[in-house]
Amino acid sequence: MLDVGRHPNITLLAYSELEKVEGEAGNFTATVRRKARYVEEDKCTGCGACAKVCPTPVEDLYNEGHAKRRAIYSWFAQGIPSTHAIDPDHCRVLSGKKCGICQKKCEAGAINFAQKERVSELYVGAVIVATGYDVFDPVKMPEYRYGQIDNVVTAMEFERFLSASGPTAGHVYRPSDRKVEARIEELEKKVKKSQKVLDRFERNHEITTHEFYGAYKAGNLNPGEDLEKDQDKWAKKYEAHLENARPLKTLREKAKGFTSAKKLAFIQCAGSRDLRFYPFCSGFCCMHSIKEAIIAHEHDNDTCSVIFGMDIRAVGKGFEEYKIRGENNSNVSYKRSRVAEITKDADENPVLIYEDTKEQKVKRQTFDLVVLATACAPAKGNRKIADILKIDVDQYGFFKTDSANPLDTSRSGVFVCGCAQNPMDIPESVAQASSAAARAAQTVINKNDKKAS
Amino acid sequence: MTKDILVLGGGIAGIQSSLDLAEMGFKVHLVESLPSIGGKMAQLDKTFPTNDCAI
Amino acid sequence: MNVKNEILYESPRIGVFVCDCGSNIAGHLDCPDVAEYARTLPDVVYAKENLYTCSEAGIGEIKKAIKEQDLNRVVVASCSPRTHQPLFSSSCAEAGLNPYLFEMVNIRDQCSWVHMGERQNATHKAKKLVRMGVAKSAGLAPLDEIESSLVRKVLVIGGGIAGLSAAQALADMKLDVILVEKTSGFGGLLQQVHRLDSGKSAKETMLTIIDDVCSRPNIVCHTQAKLKETGGYIGNYNVKIETKEGLFEEKAGCIVVATGAVPLVPQGLYGYNGKNVISLMELEKKLKKQEFSAKCVVFIQCAGARTKEKEYCSRICCMIGVKNAMLIKKKHPLTDVRILYRDMQMYGTYKEQMLWNARGMGIRFDVYNPGNPPEVKEGKLEFFQAVTGKTVSLDTDLVVLSTPLVPGNDSGSLANMLRVPTDQNGFFLEAHAKLRPLDFAADGIFVCGSGRYPATSTEARTQGIGAASRVAAILFKEKLVKSAIVADINPDSCVGCMACLSMCPCEAITYNREKQTCEVNEILCKGCGNCAATCPSHSAQLRGFKPEQLLAQIRAV
Repeated sequence: MLDVGRHPNITLLAYSELEKVEGEAGNFTATVRRKARYVEEDKCTGCGACAKVCPTPVEDLYNEGHAKRRAIYSWFAQGIPSTHAIDPDHCRVLSGKKCGICQKKCEAGAINFAQKERVSELYVGAVIVATGYDVFDPVKMPEYRYGQIDNVVTAMEFERFLSASGPTAGHVYRPSDRKVEARIEELEKKVKKSQKVLDRFERNHEITTHEFYGAYKAGNLNPGEDLEKDQDKWAKKYEAHLENARPLKTLREKAKGFTSAKKLAFIQCAGSRDLRFYPFCSGFCCMHSIKEAIIAHEHDNDTCSVIFGMDIRAVGKGFEEYKIRGENNSNVSYKRSRVAEITKDADENPVLIYEDTKEQKVKRQTFDLVVLATACAPAKGNRKIADILKIDVDQYGFFKTDSANPLDTSRSGVFVCGCAQNPMDIPESVAQASSAAARAAQTVINKNDKKAS
Repeated sequence: MTKDILVLGGGIAGIQSSLDLAEMGFKVHLVESLPSIGGKMAQLDKTFPTNDCAI
Repeated sequence: MNVKNEILYESPRIGVFVCDCGSNIAGHLDCPDVAEYARTLPDVVYAKENLYTCSEAGIGEIKKAIKEQDLNRVVVASCSPRTHQPLFSSSCAEAGLNPYLFEMVNIRDQCSWVHMGERQNATHKAKKLVRMGVAKSAGLAPLDEIESSLVRKVLVIGGGIAGLSAAQALADMKLDVILVEKTSGFGGLLQQVHRLDSGKSAKETMLTIIDDVCSRPNIVCHTQAKLKETGGYIGNYNVKIETKEGLFEEKAGCIVVATGAVPLVPQGLYGYNGKNVISLMELEKKLKKQEFSAKCVVFIQCAGARTKEKEYCSRICCMIGVKNAMLIKKKHPLTDVRILYRDMQMYGTYKEQMLWNARGMGIRFDVYNPGNPPEVKEGKLEFFQAVTGKTVSLDTDLVVLSTPLVPGNDSGSLANMLRVPTDQNGFFLEAHAKLRPLDFAADGIFVCGSGRYPATSTEARTQGIGAASRVAAILFKEKLVKSAIVADINPDSCVGCMACLSMCPCEAITYNREKQTCEVNEILCKGCGNCAATCPSHSAQLRGFKPEQLLAQIRAV
């Protein structure tokens, strides 16, 4: 990734979209719209001082919504380019309010709220489409209650939980527990604030709130002039205080029992091999789940995982061996079953209902956390790109190729590689990417040749 | 007639295509819609089967 | 080495630049104090604190100081050399200073990040690190990058779909190709295949490609030819090839290994007899010759694969099994076609679609447990059907064993000859399982097709073209240029103990029998320093990391 940013032959147009392509193989004119970052690329050094002072929290999509970033941000810490960007939907200045703290803080003078989007024209001989895929949204599967049961997450969310730079710093805490902890934090703030007010009353009147309130309620308070004035206010404040302090106590008690998730279930084919959504196999999810189960076990040796799937497709080099390693060394077991439904118990634990095909029995099993291995869906933007480039998509929505020329789209000079073409894993994507590069190079060389002769 | 090449998408596939072409001596324009390149792989913690860091 | 640099090398004039990185570094340690301290160090004639040393302004200050202060060493104390060393050293070069007279100190990762909130300690450590960097830099010597010529010709070993595709793609990119095939004809395994998964005839598809390859003026084809000997290194390999006409020598800049794999013959498995219990490849032949006839045919998947001895899944046999089952069912609708499997490996879009379609055609799929495998008896096959919990007995007149692809028996000797590794299963081992699937760790040698790991014809073709791209990324350059940070062995003090030889991961060291010393091949050396650390007489030394520099650095702690 770093090499791309550094290579003298590569111009990186991040935060940009393709608008139009005209011409033919060897001689295309592409129009690219470069969105306004509101940060000057040549000045920003990526130090991140601006994001530290920005007052506006925004849901962090890189962390799958499990963390907050700021309205001025870098997509992720090691991102290339490291140039920050301002999110125009959330920035106070760009929504007409007062702020500009980042501009004051930026010592490089890189922030420019007046920056406009730019349109560039590129003259290219060939185009490679490597636009990737979208992660399937499991909200569409009512039986798994994703979004309703907190402890049902997607594989990508789980990936962020495992990451040391992720929202839980690499600990697999349950989202339901994190919700409680967030609530505790919120209540603590409120209680601290109201406690201050109560403390002031106590100082002024030299009795404890508890004593005061007991007497106030019993009607045997003998107020002096000062207290007379304050008594109703004090009582009201105390009542409001208790409204927060009582649940806080219960929640704190509850939070004492929280541990990281140790019993994990992985459900394969969430959206794949399913005629309601995508009939195809997404190829990489079986291995992705096994990897996540093994890493989770590496983090915490008490973790045990069950992977529910119709087939476990460990088809790549070293994959079957890796799968066996997971079973032997990492408490991973594999169950041939398509999980029918997920419900939850009183402790927010997901409960799986499935048929054990070996024993021909319907079973219920409780887990701490369920990970859905979501499908590799054709990217939503594929249709638009197909229209711009005038290339065909296949019946599933991926870019169409011919098995004899696996990199060539329906238009000469336009090639495709990676998950934009078909679901595939990383080594296959890399191999395809090299092949697409060769095809593009051939096009440019041969078209130039013909012109010369 | 031009020798430049346009690559759409800055995930692992787009990055690899770009690097190969750039090493061959072609000028590459790499277009990514997000503020940074890296794609889905940059979101991964580690990769199997070697459990190497994804970034 | 130019004269100016020679003179410069004499007495060090060191400039130190301390980067605030905005508040990234300056927020956690006292950068002005570190710069002030640097000024007091021996040979330091200039020190400066910058807001961002990597910004245009910061780089400008380095260049200006090199000229105005006559600096002959530059030290930057900032972030990671992994990200910023190339920028700084090339900036030095732009200002006329040899880029190898640059030294970097990482006070961001090692001070401000790990000692956040301990300002005093972080500052103290930063000073120490700068002192060490300065001490090391005094011993830096100007170096010239190593250059070597490139032969723009490629040796492709193996004339199957992968090798042919690589040859085609290379020829399309105007590179000369020598294509070597050990058998008498091109086409590899696909010669035995009836139809491809796309439904096309394998023979016709192959013939189109073979005709094209044979007609190219820049591809020299050799059948019944074998690689006998290789020598040299990236850009300049010397190879000896044996053909019917005799032995000849060639030069090649890069080598592509596309030797493929062979199907396992299921000797001793499920009563294999080649008649009514046959292998998948034998079925292909039957179908090709239109000799197929059976009332009930049962495919047993994973025959000889995913066992204790052969743990791996051969990736393509499920697809081949289903493909043939569908061909049979289409032509003989009354034949009962069944597939016994462990996991149906129909990954991706169209393979899974094949599985849906196969089920739709009436092909029956049943899971079997490897602990309780099917039993083949005279005219019968029994297996335990997990979903019903019963043992099922079938009257079958043909059993097809889907066996895995295994490495060819000469792939080990080829690996030895090319000095490339194989994995525990005997397949060629690439440089990195994820990010460099087509490269070997040895520069200039590439791998594609089933020799690396079983691949479908489409995958093998993709990989072949991909390998061509990897080759072009090297051979399209004017010449090979590499970092000057390599090891030297002093022939006067080397006693030829060969301790370094076994430590070198790049096979860059050879023993010279005549001189009785070890020698380093600069092109192969990647500058890891293993030899320098091993050498008992300090004859092996790494440029830019000489013992006196490292000692000076340690003494400065």
